[in-house]
Amino acid sequence: MAKTALVVDDSTTMRQMVSFTLTNAGFIVVEAEHGKDAVSKVAGGAKMDIVVTDLNMPEMDGIALIKELRQMANFKFTPILMLTTESAMEKKQAGKDAGATGWIVKPFNPDVLLRAIAKVLPA
Amino acid sequence: MSNDFAQFQDAFFEEAAEHLAAVEEGLLQLEQHPNDLDLLNKIFRSAHSIKGTAGMFGFAAVAQFTHKMETLLDLLRNGQKAGSPAVTDLLLKSTDCLKTLIESAQTGSGIDEETVQRLTADLAGASASDAQPAAAPAQPSRADRTYTITWTPPDWLFQRGLDPLQIMKELNDLGRLAKVVLNTSRLPDLSDLDPERCYLSWEILLTTGKDRKVVEAVFEFVREDSVLSIEECETSSVKPISHSDVSVSRDTNDEQCVEDGEPTPLGEILVESGALSRDTLDKALAQQKRVGEILVEQKVVTPQQVELALQKQRQQETAVQAKKSDATSIRVDTDKIDKLINLVGELVITQSMLSDLGSRFEMRQLPVLLERMAQLERNTREIQERVMGIRMLPIGTAFNRFPRLVRDLSAKAGKKIQLVLSGEETELDKTVIESINDPLTHLVRNSADHGLELPEERLDNNKPEIGTIRLNACHEGGSICITVEDDGRGLNREKIIAKAVKQGLIAEHEKLSDDQIWALIFKPGFSTAEKVTDISGRGVGMDVVKRNIESLGGTVSIKTTTGQGTTFTLKLPLTLAIIEGMTVRVGKETYIVPLLSILESIQPKQGSVKTVVGRGELINVRGSYLPVIRLHEVFALQPEHTEPTKGILLILETEGERVAIMVDEILGQQQVVIKSMEQNFRKVEGIAGATILGNGTVGLILDVRGLLEIAQREEAVAV
Amino acid sequence: MPASARETSIKECNQAAGRTTDGNQFLTFNLGEECYGVDILRVREIKGYSAVTKIPNTPAHIKGVLNLRGTIVPIVELRTKFGMPTVEYTAFTVIILVVVRDKVIGLVVDSVSDVLNIDKKDIQPPPQFGANVDVSFMSGIGKSGEKLVALLNMEHLLVDGDMSESSVPTGEA
Repeated sequence: MAKTALVVDDSTTMRQMVSFTLTNAGFIVVEAEHGKDAVSKVAGGAKMDIVVTDLNMPEMDGIALIKELRQMANFKFTPILMLTTESAMEKKQAGKDAGATGWIVKPFNPDVLLRAIAKVLPA
Repeated sequence: MSNDFAQFQDAFFEEAAEHLAAVEEGLLQLEQHPNDLDLLNKIFRSAHSIKGTAGMFGFAAVAQFTHKMETLLDLLRNGQKAGSPAVTDLLLKSTDCLKTLIESAQTGSGIDEETVQRLTADLAGASASDAQPAAAPAQPSRADRTYTITWTPPDWLFQRGLDPLQIMKELNDLGRLAKVVLNTSRLPDLSDLDPERCYLSWEILLTTGKDRKVVEAVFEFVREDSVLSIEECETSSVKPISHSDVSVSRDTNDEQCVEDGEPTPLGEILVESGALSRDTLDKALAQQKRVGEILVEQKVVTPQQVELALQKQRQQETAVQAKKSDATSIRVDTDKIDKLINLVGELVITQSMLSDLGSRFEMRQLPVLLERMAQLERNTREIQERVMGIRMLPIGTAFNRFPRLVRDLSAKAGKKIQLVLSGEETELDKTVIESINDPLTHLVRNSADHGLELPEERLDNNKPEIGTIRLNACHEGGSICITVEDDGRGLNREKIIAKAVKQGLIAEHEKLSDDQIWALIFKPGFSTAEKVTDISGRGVGMDVVKRNIESLGGTVSIKTTTGQGTTFTLKLPLTLAIIEGMTVRVGKETYIVPLLSILESIQPKQGSVKTVVGRGELINVRGSYLPVIRLHEVFALQPEHTEPTKGILLILETEGERVAIMVDEILGQQQVVIKSMEQNFRKVEGIAGATILGNGTVGLILDVRGLLEIAQREEAVAV
Repeated sequence: MPASARETSIKECNQAAGRTTDGNQFLTFNLGEECYGVDILRVREIKGYSAVTKIPNTPAHIKGVLNLRGTIVPIVELRTKFGMPTVEYTAFTVIILVVVRDKVIGLVVDSVSDVLNIDKKDIQPPPQFGANVDVSFMSGIGKSGEKLVALLNMEHLLVDGDMSESSVPTGEA
């Protein structure tokens, strides 16, 4: 069965690029523009195999989203990767504290993205 | 897999342009609201997005430059750095620079390397510390070796979605797992066991050709929170678990207390450690001298110099304080400042010439003195004008929103409308610009809704299908003229009269001039639209427009031709703070009349002022009868003259109504700075405000509208 | 200008006294034979009398407005306000500038006399005079030695004085 991924980023370009990479790797991708959008899309109990989220977003940022997801039964143990930049390493700690599984440092290429996913997602 | 992201480049450029616009707009708004955190966050997010995405496509220059901007923005939004006009300016310039960098990435166009370098340096300078982590030197790769890995993960491992099994799999992919020992010593009794916690630790023997860094990378997501050691070993013996080497402990309290506050003074530390008693320290401190005193003693500087320096220091402190409470700021063209500096230079020269003249003055030098005085006056006036000019902004900032508004209005009303803007560069006071936004919006809406016809109707009348609204601004003497012009159907004389009669605003067969009829649409509650639309036409608006403009000391007038269109003309003072006024005298009192409202002044002929029952005194000025207001009567003053033929009548216009105000004498004309009466007192009927006259006393500025109201009320009482 | 020589800044004095005065320090001044007091924390400064500009159609006790370093300040003739006959201004006539509800107002008085400390226990409620005397703008009678001081309630003086409450609609602010 194909794996599912939730991709959350306010930048359309970024979102499309991540989705593109994941779709090519055989994922079924659900896109969300920001934290609130993401929560509303999975609030019905949908289970995702992995979540890839940006941190800096309007409405609800990545940290708040991760915290929120970890409170939901369907995302309690789901791997969540956050997209960060080198300059936001303190954000990384905040993300981890919120329950993020790992991180991908921007800029990245599709290989880096897929490798990071492979690290946390059982094949 | 190669970099497949290239196909998204166009999308990136599109998005980057949007973000750039957002950054720019945000920064401009930030000038008005320097402490708006939401705004800063928005700007930061946009910059952050550009940086992140640019890096994905390998646009290193863009990413690096944006990173510098982002660093500064981050400091601003965290409050670690206070915003200032200089910082905003730097960020705006950087935005422009970033634009060229992105353009360069897109089209391969050249960039001004020097500007980029300079701004990069400026940005780095403005950011408190912007240290880049140094890249670790690459380690040379070697042949196969064996690592002993001991790993105790944090017990909340699962709660972050991490799976030890994944790590084992990844290690296995690197080479050969010679041995994996599971340590279960931390497992509690089953009754105490929380199945969501991890109590396990591992000892692993890994043989691989990979570098130690690569092995460490396997634990990337958990390393900082685990007790982990990776040791290269020659033998295959398994060491007991040790906590040395790479193990990371997060207990750094001691260091933090230093980082947070200022370092503890030396003396305090000595007292704390017991090396010094508090008493001894205080005595020693008492002997300590200020730098200034020491320098004076050493005769390096004079006490005067120290005093000057201290004064400067105090000024700086005050300036810092002032900056903190600074609410709004304004961007000023450096040209304007340069000109001002030149003028001040001239002023200084004139001043020194005058004081030179004064020190050895003889009567025969009077002509020279008068000439110098005239020069001083010219200098002063020019400086005044230039200083006021600092507050001047092009009206284009107010016009810019109309293309969008008209676009929306035309869609809503089903009309075809083109908007033509001109004179956007015309400058006027920032406060005036802010205050005319609403009136202008209303006039444009009015033209779109009432003025212009539907396309079919226009075609039927042999007019082009597309209606035109023109917005124009220009200077006219000491005031600014803004026109809102449409080529629509024009005002309908009959409809307005019928409506006004129905509303009881005029008598049924009253004879009115065209101007008087058009002025009716500014009466409260007046609206001729046959159906109320949601654009305009609820009968609120035109009267508000007029009131707003007049509260700014301006006037509104209408020109209209049936079938050809309507033009609203707003005349406004260039600035709110200063008006051109006529000083007049009544008895011992001096008043100022805004020049903008004066049409003419006359000395009436015998018998030209007549008393009409029910309407008070009227004067016939070229065929039309105007009410006469004796200022000494409405203000209860002792006048010099009670005969209109001996005094002076000022013919004033307000809201399309004309009135003659009787005073004793006209004293002159001068610019006056408007001061508020309400600040410490209250509004006084008939008085628009106050000003400080040349002799230091207060002069009151007349409110023509208010005078008219007082006069009408008194007339009503008298009848 | 002899008047300006007596311009005194009470402000620093206020700041030095700080909050320790507890509202018990009063600037006292004279109107005829009577002695009045105003809470010193309200006093901004004292300046010699200078000509004011009359404001039309205001009550008689509103003497006019004055230019105080560029701001317009209304001046109240306290004698008129209290229904006392007006007198010629002398070299002792001063304007006491007080702050009431963030507004600065000048009070014309015959002369200033002293700054007195009056204990709370030495302050009695205003006496009930005959119906013809309005005591609403008094907060009490203070005793300092043999001297009796009528302490002014500035807030009441203000509302009563047609200062901030506008008698005409002001339109939009």
